[in-house]
Amino acid sequence: MAKVLIVADIKQGVLKGSTAELSSKAKAIGAETAVVAIGSNIESLIPDLVNAGSDTQYIADDPSLELFSAGPYASCVVDAAKQFGANLIWFGFSESGKAAAPRVAAQLDAACATEITDVTLDGDQIEVVRPAIANKVMQRIKVNTDQLVAVVRAGAFEATEGITGTENVVKLSAPETDLKAVIKELISDASGEIDLADADVVVSVGRGAKDQAGVDLVKELANDLQAGFGASRAMIDGGFMAHNKQVGQTGKIVAPTLYMAIGISGAIQHLAGMNGSKVILAVNKDPEAPIFNVADYGIVGDLFEVVPILREEIKKVRA
Amino acid sequence: MKILTTVKKVVDVELNMHVKDGAIVEDGLQYVINAWDENAVEASVQLKENNKAETTLVSVGGGDNTDIIRKCYAMGIENGIHIDDPALDKADSSVFAKVLQKVYENGAYDLVITGKQAQDTDSGQTGIMLAEYLGVPCVSNVIAIEVADEQHIKVSRLGDAGTEIVELELPAVVTVSDSINEPRLPQMRGIMMAKKKKIKKMDLAALGTSYDDLGGTGLKSEVIEFMASKTREAGQKFEGDPAEITAQVVGLLANEAKVF
Repeated sequence: MAKVLIVADIKQGVLKGSTAELSSKAKAIGAETAVVAIGSNIESLIPDLVNAGSDTQYIADDPSLELFSAGPYASCVVDAAKQFGANLIWFGFSESGKAAAPRVAAQLDAACATEITDVTLDGDQIEVVRPAIANKVMQRIKVNTDQLVAVVRAGAFEATEGITGTENVVKLSAPETDLKAVIKELISDASGEIDLADADVVVSVGRGAKDQAGVDLVKELANDLQAGFGASRAMIDGGFMAHNKQVGQTGKIVAPTLYMAIGISGAIQHLAGMNGSKVILAVNKDPEAPIFNVADYGIVGDLFEVVPILREEIKKVRA
Repeated sequence: MKILTTVKKVVDVELNMHVKDGAIVEDGLQYVINAWDENAVEASVQLKENNKAETTLVSVGGGDNTDIIRKCYAMGIENGIHIDDPALDKADSSVFAKVLQKVYENGAYDLVITGKQAQDTDSGQTGIMLAEYLGVPCVSNVIAIEVADEQHIKVSRLGDAGTEIVELELPAVVTVSDSINEPRLPQMRGIMMAKKKKIKKMDLAALGTSYDDLGGTGLKSEVIEFMASKTREAGQKFEGDPAEITAQVVGLLANEAKVF
């Protein structure tokens, strides 16, 4: 029986939804499922880890693990993978996962694949599917080792309703601190903001907003909907939005229920970050903008005119 | 400080791509320098300009890489190495990392700067694996690098919880995000000088290794098929009176797509 170890996605003390999505997929392919949780003061998350569908919980809980550092983080995953005898080691889509997965693979001498969207098991043979070249093609990859470390692309797997697990906690010893890469400071993202990665609705703003007033206008729409607020590269480079708000091949990859692209033309790099969204709405002045080729609903118009109307109309239907 | 920068030749992602019989149709494709590697080159050149540093680039695979290496020379890189070998055609990230390990060990570098991923695979593994194989510290997704002292650099990394400020002991590997800088356009003088510069070309034997030694004959994974991406169909596009069409679309979002 295959064994899947899932690295719990914990942000600011909260277990994120990807953990249940990954264990649902693990169960669907008939695997035994464990989770490894890494952080400081995380024992209170054990019930959530069980409810996310794991049957063993490896817990690395140590004050030294409060801030992310790829070396110690990877050591904890390797430790849990060895104890569990994992064939498949899955990270949810996150910067920590992207940083740690290649290290874990190198240490275990395992195969490594990032951004996978599907995995199949045929006996011991593992195959995965992933996008490449800015999502222009998909690759089917045959794994030649008996172990695969993978980062799962956002939105690739769905959580099974009513998934549950059993509590079987194994405590891991604290890893060695990486003395050669010392975290001096963490400049936290503004608190209270909705996380783009797991927002149900994402509103993104692009060059069409022109300036700060335009950005603020679109932000009000995001606030109305309690949506994550993102941007295309142009607005990051223009200094209107923080780097961590960039949606695209190089920034955040999102797959919300509703994605609103406001004043975004739809460069290939941006599309690669959002074309997994369930429903896409685009507002753009240019009827030929490539964003309309992927949008389910397109409004050709000036966002300065359209956004206020959009807010009013949405308020009406939600009332 | 000796800086090694990696540069990969990749397919131009702006062009249309077609898949036939499980392979990408080569016809009509063009090759360019990986965009993130261009950021790595710019970061190296800036470090050279602001500190005492020697800059070398290495490009692995890709056939004739003269154009992209000359472009990096024109941007300010001083030395160029091209490792090419027909055996590398099917190589994975781990093999590339092991080739870079050999280059590193031959050159006594203090800092390796790579793009955070290559735009042909979007894997983001090679730089991080290189650091693992070398046993040196590594920070990925870096948006700023400054020299702290002779033994250390200070980098900013975009992490999940915010911007992490990390002090790294040299030698080290960093992989950079495109947010780190805006690569300069080569100037005429640089372009002319670049034409005269030599490129050191080596195959795996000249590097003191073989495909087998690098793990190439026992690849951990291999691409067995390319498939067309599921493309989204263009949906309904509305033009006309803003108030009218916006109300219409919100109605569809609520009643047809059922998102409200």
